Amino acid sequence: MTDLLFGAALIFVGGIAAMFVPEKAKAWAFVLFAAVAQFVILPAALKVLLNGQQLALPLFLSEPIGEAYLRLDPLAALFVIVTSAGSFLTPIYSIGYMKMYHDRGMSLSSHFFFLGVMSASMLLVEVTQNAILFIIVWEMMSTSSFFLVAFENENEEVRRASLYYFIAMQVGVAFLIAAFAWTSALSGSLDFNSFSSVLDGHGSVAILLFVLFFIGFGTKAGFVPMHTWLPKAHPASPTGVSALMSGVMIKTGIYGILRILLLTGIPDYRLAYGVFFVSLITGIYGIVNSIAQDDIKRLLAYSSIENIGIIGMGIGVGMLGLAYNSPLIAMLGFFGALLHIVNHFTFKSVLFYGSGVVYSQTHKRDMNLLGGLGKYLPVTSAMFLAGSLAISGVPFFNGFVSEIAIYLGMARGLSLDSISVVVVMLLGFAGLAFIGAMALLSFTKVYGITFLGLPRTEYHATPTEKERTLLLPMVVLTIAMLAIGFFPWLAVELLMNVVRELVPGLPAAQFTPVLGIFRTISAIVIGLAAVTAFFFGLRNFLLRKRTVGSYKTWDCGYQVGSGRLEYTGSSFAQPFLHLVAELVPREISVDKEPVFFPMEASLESRTQDLSERYILKPLIALLNKFLNLFSWIQSGRMQQYIMYGLVFLVFLLVWILGIR
Amino acid sequence: MLLAVAEFVIIISPLFLVGLISKVKALWGGRRGAPVVQPYFDFLKLMGKGEIISTVTSPVFRIAPSVGIAATLFALFILPVPVLGSVFHFEGDFVLFAYLLGMAKFVMVLAALDTGSSFEGIGASREVTYSTIVETAFFVVIGSLALLTSHFSFETIFASVNMVAGYSPLVKILLLASLFIMLLAEGSRVPVDDPNTHLELTMIHEVMVLDYSGPDLAFIQYTVSLKMTIIAILMADLLVPSSTPPIPALGLFAVIVVSVFLLVGAVESLIARSRISHIPQFLFLMTTFSLTAFAVAAFFLFGGVK
Repeated sequence: MTDLLFGAALIFVGGIAAMFVPEKAKAWAFVLFAAVAQFVILPAALKVLLNGQQLALPLFLSEPIGEAYLRLDPLAALFVIVTSAGSFLTPIYSIGYMKMYHDRGMSLSSHFFFLGVMSASMLLVEVTQNAILFIIVWEMMSTSSFFLVAFENENEEVRRASLYYFIAMQVGVAFLIAAFAWTSALSGSLDFNSFSSVLDGHGSVAILLFVLFFIGFGTKAGFVPMHTWLPKAHPASPTGVSALMSGVMIKTGIYGILRILLLTGIPDYRLAYGVFFVSLITGIYGIVNSIAQDDIKRLLAYSSIENIGIIGMGIGVGMLGLAYNSPLIAMLGFFGALLHIVNHFTFKSVLFYGSGVVYSQTHKRDMNLLGGLGKYLPVTSAMFLAGSLAISGVPFFNGFVSEIAIYLGMARGLSLDSISVVVVMLLGFAGLAFIGAMALLSFTKVYGITFLGLPRTEYHATPTEKERTLLLPMVVLTIAMLAIGFFPWLAVELLMNVVRELVPGLPAAQFTPVLGIFRTISAIVIGLAAVTAFFFGLRNFLLRKRTVGSYKTWDCGYQVGSGRLEYTGSSFAQPFLHLVAELVPREISVDKEPVFFPMEASLESRTQDLSERYILKPLIALLNKFLNLFSWIQSGRMQQYIMYGLVFLVFLLVWILGIR
Repeated sequence: MLLAVAEFVIIISPLFLVGLISKVKALWGGRRGAPVVQPYFDFLKLMGKGEIISTVTSPVFRIAPSVGIAATLFALFILPVPVLGSVFHFEGDFVLFAYLLGMAKFVMVLAALDTGSSFEGIGASREVTYSTIVETAFFVVIGSLALLTSHFSFETIFASVNMVAGYSPLVKILLLASLFIMLLAEGSRVPVDDPNTHLELTMIHEVMVLDYSGPDLAFIQYTVSLKMTIIAILMADLLVPSSTPPIPALGLFAVIVVSVFLLVGAVESLIARSRISHIPQFLFLMTTFSLTAFAVAAFFLFGGVK
């Protein structure tokens, strides 16, 4: 336990140290500290994860916190490992990526300082089990990430996005404060362990508290309709930060939900349905919107929302399993959710890192202006392809493994003896398939349009991969993706204790059939790789002595040499978006002279976020209206303000005299 | 052993089955038509040729057909042959089945985008759009079967689906109808797509592979016919009673698969290709059928009529 604190402190100190070294060495200094911290944190967390033990460390702090426990159980250990890995890979990536800003004369001190604060506070969030201390480290995490997002703050769009993010986090934490305050008032203690007495009832208070917690943590995680900050904050921040936020930070929201669930014990079935439906909607909504985006990072941000939905569906299945007393279904659901947390960290980080390489080389994020980058950036292209395949759930990679576990949980749910569960499970079953098919659309789009074909506009400088530090994190994560994809039983060994923590009384023998399934999948995947290699070899063998010519693309006439006639991302997505037009309202503005032969014309189409338009904006308008009732207080007239002072003084006089 | 023989026969037969469709169409149209084995001649001819590869493409284009054919073959290995069972089976294997078909689709769509041709872009875009409808409906089909049988792998589902009494004919008819629509969509047949029109703006699959030649094209054509065969096998699995002795069961199995293809030929002779804007409506029929099947199954299971 002290190892973990020491490790977090090391990362934090790394951020401070980076401020005092020359610009060029800042990144390396931070990486050095983060690397040492890995050796301290990872062994401790892995030990807990594999042995299933619990570590605790009491801290005695001044009031109002008082005695605060830091606890490391398998659930926390899993998140600590993900966080720790993420906060090591992102600074490595930043070595190369942040040079871009250094070249523009910006100081990188703030980036690394807040990276240190954020990484350390994320680690603390996962082990702190005292309500007030938790809120403090939670706020440290939100605030430091706000500064990271706002790094490029001379840009107005970045300022707006980061403020939006900051406000969204404050709204979220307001729910958390309310929930924690209420819970600890009822339980009489700030310690999480005492909360279970309040949360495990099935009364309306327990349910309301869970809902409050879910909204608070769900805002961080990005559940619909609290997701609107993601597509704004991710494109605005430096890419390493986007990857860390999407891969790790939003998972702290999931961690919070799981922690509360752990304290709840057997959840009420209504809550289970609620979580499941919100997640299903989140998944579908996220990926539909992802398809509509042309900005690579916005597309990835929406896809993060989708994946949070998938994780939530796993949790929902797990909760339904608990509520309907079926440990097997609960196990499959939670296992899928937990594995998807790890998996999403790997592939979403790769995808963000890849998009950052593209941005640093072309200074473009709109994929309709890109294309053909595979020839310039072969390694990035291969890694981005791997990430796209993994996130679409293609066998060979890890995304498939977690999804099949959730599918299995839902299929098992179809054999339960309750019509409502059966119908819900079928909706989930079909819904997850729908999400998967749409993910395929979204990621063939982003990879195909960006990396394949011809460039759609000219690149000012030839994109290169000279900067090796940009590639290293992607390579590491891709190896992890393949490892889980080829040997999925590794994941069972790794996550077994966490699942057993979430599903009380689950015998270890229950994992044997799952292990059997994964062994078969592993054999099939290896066989598939071999057969693919066979066919590719056969093809090359046949062609070895024949003429293999190369010529321009034949598209019923020969292609002109430029990419201007190529299909764009928008046109690729159009037929599908036409089908779901109600879900992604588009604003199309045409600017053209009203004559028969206009010389100039332009067309612009923007997609809007449904929830922002129909839920958040009206809500904010309502709030504004209410707050406007008090606007007379601040009228701007000097006389009135002087009167406030006078009234206050009179009041003070009366009060003091009155007390005497 | 018998299973190995059966799988071998299945692996070599798809091209014959496609030849059958052309024959039906020819006879229906009053022509004599090409021999049924013509697709094999085409296949061998293509295998013997060189290739022309667009300068725009990357390695993705070259490896995609090999990935596609391998993934589709493994999807076949997951499907059971009546009575004999399947090569690979485990709980949840239908998910792998669907995702293997998805994988083949993924790489072919990328290969189409890799040529940088807007023509192939159109095809790719349509292919992924329609697959969102078909894949979702397919999982409803699987869900209905899992609900009916309380089993979670193809082999056990099909072993017991033919024993469930009473209401199952209705469910089965609906499921067969959805699978048939899936076959037409995935096999790019009329009314969704027309494999005979290379140069029209209305097609899907053919336009995606416009730039392929030689062995790669042979792989692709084989993959498409194999995919159709796979779905026909799914339909046959639904129909062959599991208690039949092996030889009649296999005979019945072959008869059903062949008649599915004859039916495809008949459909192509009778109806014209739909307008592109009507295709989603046609595909939503599959969703409707499968959801109805699920509703019927759920009604009988929970409505007290047991």
